[in-house]
Amino acid sequence: MTTDMAAPDSNTRTSVPRTRVAAAADASQPGGKIDTRTVGQVTVADAVMTARKVNVHYGDKHAVKDVSLDIGRHAVIALIGPSGCGKSTFLRCLNRMNDTIDSAVVDGAITLDGVDIYERRQDVVQLRARVGMVFQKPNPFPKSIYENIAYGPRIHGLAANRAELDEVVQTSLQKAGLWEEVKDRLDHPGTGLSGGQQQRLCIARAIAVDPEVILMDEPCSALDPIATARVEDLIDELRQNYAIVIVTHNMQQAARVSQRTAYFHLGELIEVGATDQIFTNPRHRLTEDYITGRFG
Amino acid sequence: MEGHTVRTFDGDILNLRMRVLAMGGLAIDQVQRAVLALVRGEDEAAREVVGRGAQITEYGHAIEEEIIGLIARRQPVASDLRAILAVGRVATDLERVGNAARKIARLSIELHGGGERTPLPHFYSDVRKMSRLAVAMLRDALDAFDRVDLAAATAISERDAELDAEFHLALRELVTYVMEDPRHLQSTVHTVFLLKALERVGDHARSIASTVPRLARRDEAEAGAGAAAAFSPTAARGLEPPAESRIG
Repeated sequence: MTTDMAAPDSNTRTSVPRTRVAAAADASQPGGKIDTRTVGQVTVADAVMTARKVNVHYGDKHAVKDVSLDIGRHAVIALIGPSGCGKSTFLRCLNRMNDTIDSAVVDGAITLDGVDIYERRQDVVQLRARVGMVFQKPNPFPKSIYENIAYGPRIHGLAANRAELDEVVQTSLQKAGLWEEVKDRLDHPGTGLSGGQQQRLCIARAIAVDPEVILMDEPCSALDPIATARVEDLIDELRQNYAIVIVTHNMQQAARVSQRTAYFHLGELIEVGATDQIFTNPRHRLTEDYITGRFG
Repeated sequence: MEGHTVRTFDGDILNLRMRVLAMGGLAIDQVQRAVLALVRGEDEAAREVVGRGAQITEYGHAIEEEIIGLIARRQPVASDLRAILAVGRVATDLERVGNAARKIARLSIELHGGGERTPLPHFYSDVRKMSRLAVAMLRDALDAFDRVDLAAATAISERDAELDAEFHLALRELVTYVMEDPRHLQSTVHTVFLLKALERVGDHARSIASTVPRLARRDEAEAGAGAAAAFSPTAARGLEPPAESRIG
């Protein structure tokens, strides 16, 4: 599969003629041999998403280099690494957010439930419902709390009537741990909530369209320690139902919330492993130097 | 290897390790003085050893507090965490070495002051030999810890067997002695305790040496290579420009 983000339907780029079949074959072999320089096990037994040989170029800049990695169901994987290491770029490949950047070119194979997400027939809006995203800065719509949550289910046709929609809103806010705080003021603007509440509102908004995967890009960097703790607690609850991929600069946060940790350096995935192992016995010198604060 | 981006963290770890090495120097001195007081029959010197025991305990407490502070302030992980916890373990061993020295000094006072005939003088050569072995092991263990020298650390456990063999040899002689003259049972038992204390010093030296492999940084790409000197105060001293201009 090859996709030119500037012109998704063009066939001008032919350098990596990966097919969906080939991608699916890779994905069907968890634990099988993957051609990678990454230290540690890039595959997992129960993968909801697989990335194989993913490369991203921004013009001349080679931002992500040959990254292969599985995203496991019902687990949190943290992507860590110094600024500019490619972790956020890789994250954005997982729901085709890089499509919005004209100069970005993504190569390789990424599947969701075994299906190539860069396939031409893939509905990107649908994909982003199944692979939701929470950003660094809380970005509620300038609408009511209710409408912030109801918007997604409504456009995706997930609720047949008002009663069903009400239920989706309530359930989503409950799952995001926000219901008790906002149930009496659902008609108030979402932007009037505190930073931590706004971020949980954004998480509720992502949950409302019933995703399989939630991507989080520095979700707590704009929050105070208490709000951060609440979001981290929420992440732990959410993993019962979703796969979560979190990019964080806060290594203690990665250690606290994730079960697997992946370390990126200069666009390469250097090492991936169980979070306990990465933070106690990293196998690669670069990982060790980064997590112990020797550079980055 | 480069130091931490936060350079004061390097300084903190260095200070901690220097402190435990200083504690080690004191512990070695205590053992040597206790044995000297014993073989010379100098009660006053033995009392001094007992009195100085508190200093080692204080070192131990101070190191423990420093470790707690470092963990709270720096949240060390991986090799840093191992290095810091290894220092704590070494300090615990050194406290016990200090206790052994104090025990030797106390038994010395008791054996020399009892007025009764003791088998002890017959065992001075054993005491001296065991003390030489134990102190050398302890010194080399601290040195291996300081330099993160895996080969030296491994050699120490082999030497512990030699010390154990000396202890058991002396024990057999003591048994023969007490069988010949059962009136000296109590002082013989004291002598056994004393030799046992020296034997324990060797055990602690071995325990200190066993922390060294944990200090060596792991790296799949350089497996087997001596990824050593990173945590060595001596190595750091060798490389160290003046503190203000130290490169991280």
